[in-house]
Amino acid sequence: MEDEFFGEKCFQYYCAEFIKHSQQIGDGWEWKTAKDCSDGYMCKTEFQIKNGTTPSHLGTPASVHTGFPTEENLELPVDDSEVMESAAASKVIKYEYHVLYSCSYQVPVLYFRASFLDGKPLSLTDIWEGVHECYKTRLLQGPWDTITQQEHPILGQPFFVLHPCKTNEFMTAVLKHPQKINRNVNYITSWLSIMGPVVGLNLPLSYAKATSQDE
Amino acid sequence: MTDDKDVLRDVWFGRIPTCFTLYQDEITEREAEPYYLLLPRVSYLTLVTDKVKKHFQKALRQEDVSEIWFEYEGTPLKWHYPIGLLFDLLASSSALPWNITVHFKSFPEKDLLHCPSKDAVEAHFMSCMKEADALKHKSQVINEMQKKDHKQLWMGLQNDRFDQFWAINRKLMEYPPEENGFRYIPFRIYQKLGLSTLYYPGTMQTKVGLELRERDLPASERYLPAYASPVLGIKWPV
Repeated sequence: MEDEFFGEKCFQYYCAEFIKHSQQIGDGWEWKTAKDCSDGYMCKTEFQIKNGTTPSHLGTPASVHTGFPTEENLELPVDDSEVMESAAASKVIKYEYHVLYSCSYQVPVLYFRASFLDGKPLSLTDIWEGVHECYKTRLLQGPWDTITQQEHPILGQPFFVLHPCKTNEFMTAVLKHPQKINRNVNYITSWLSIMGPVVGLNLPLSYAKATSQDE
Repeated sequence: MTDDKDVLRDVWFGRIPTCFTLYQDEITEREAEPYYLLLPRVSYLTLVTDKVKKHFQKALRQEDVSEIWFEYEGTPLKWHYPIGLLFDLLASSSALPWNITVHFKSFPEKDLLHCPSKDAVEAHFMSCMKEADALKHKSQVINEMQKKDHKQLWMGLQNDRFDQFWAINRKLMEYPPEENGFRYIPFRIYQKLGLSTLYYPGTMQTKVGLELRERDLPASERYLPAYASPVLGIKWPV
């Protein structure tokens, strides 16, 4: 496609850079390719505790497939006392986050699925209710325009998705300033740091420092 | 577009005679007779089967009823695919009526999207329309429409109102006279797994909305057993 603001090659490049840093800090992101084609996506599995108030994170499980094991890729970095306090009325939820490229919108899209440890999946209502308080107002303005269930474009399975139609708008605004001062920005890092927290995915600050170190 | 009105109407009013039967392992309190219905090709299963649901629920106990889902010869039917697409993909070589099995238990979480309400169908439909316009007009036409226009598109589909639907959809099918067409033509190609692979020349791939130049297709490939969604009003450019 001509006149690509953020083409697929760009997407793959920034994901590769992002994953490089993820491997350095043991953050668990991997690149997966679809069979028989060059399409690929970034993914990460994470466990979170929901104790009726704000979910707290257990961190990333050791990734079996990382090519570059680091010292951090050992046990779940859990603070035992934290777990004891919230264990009473809490449940552990497994989240799988996937970052794919949308040819139609020419932006990345965040897909995810969530299930309890017994395999029972969370419902759309569970997901909407789990959205952090500071994003709740925006969600309630139009939940059906924000987070819905859709078919994963590569796996063909049901996933939840954060709708991408407004992505171009806010990313243009985000990228304007650094571009003016000729500063390197990893599109994926910036984008994911905005979208991720809405659905419980937080990025360690070191990602931002990693990008500026490339200058 | 006006000279295509007959074709558009034929596509819109296409129907598939269907026979719904309750899954044999469902526990029934009374006999559940099969239910016959003409399904609109351009619509979605969960949108047009309220009567089917009511009919079979009468035969079941309240506690045995959860989310309805449909299956054809062991394959769970994805309600988010247009009905005509499902039929063409799975059952077109079988004799009519199309025999669909109705389930109220053991929802296949790994295969099917949930459909908690009509809002889910509307959200999916509108999301498809928006994605199509992203390709056709960089989303300009659909974003400039008011909420009531979006609602009219949806209500037109939901209530089977051709004129109501096309009053708005025609704006999505227009392009400035100085340009020769849309920026990109949105279409989806669905292949049944296990069939021989279609050969795709260099500029085509099985993705939504790739640039398609007619001259790149060898003549034999101009007819594809593909489902070009009539809801989007796409004609195969032959």
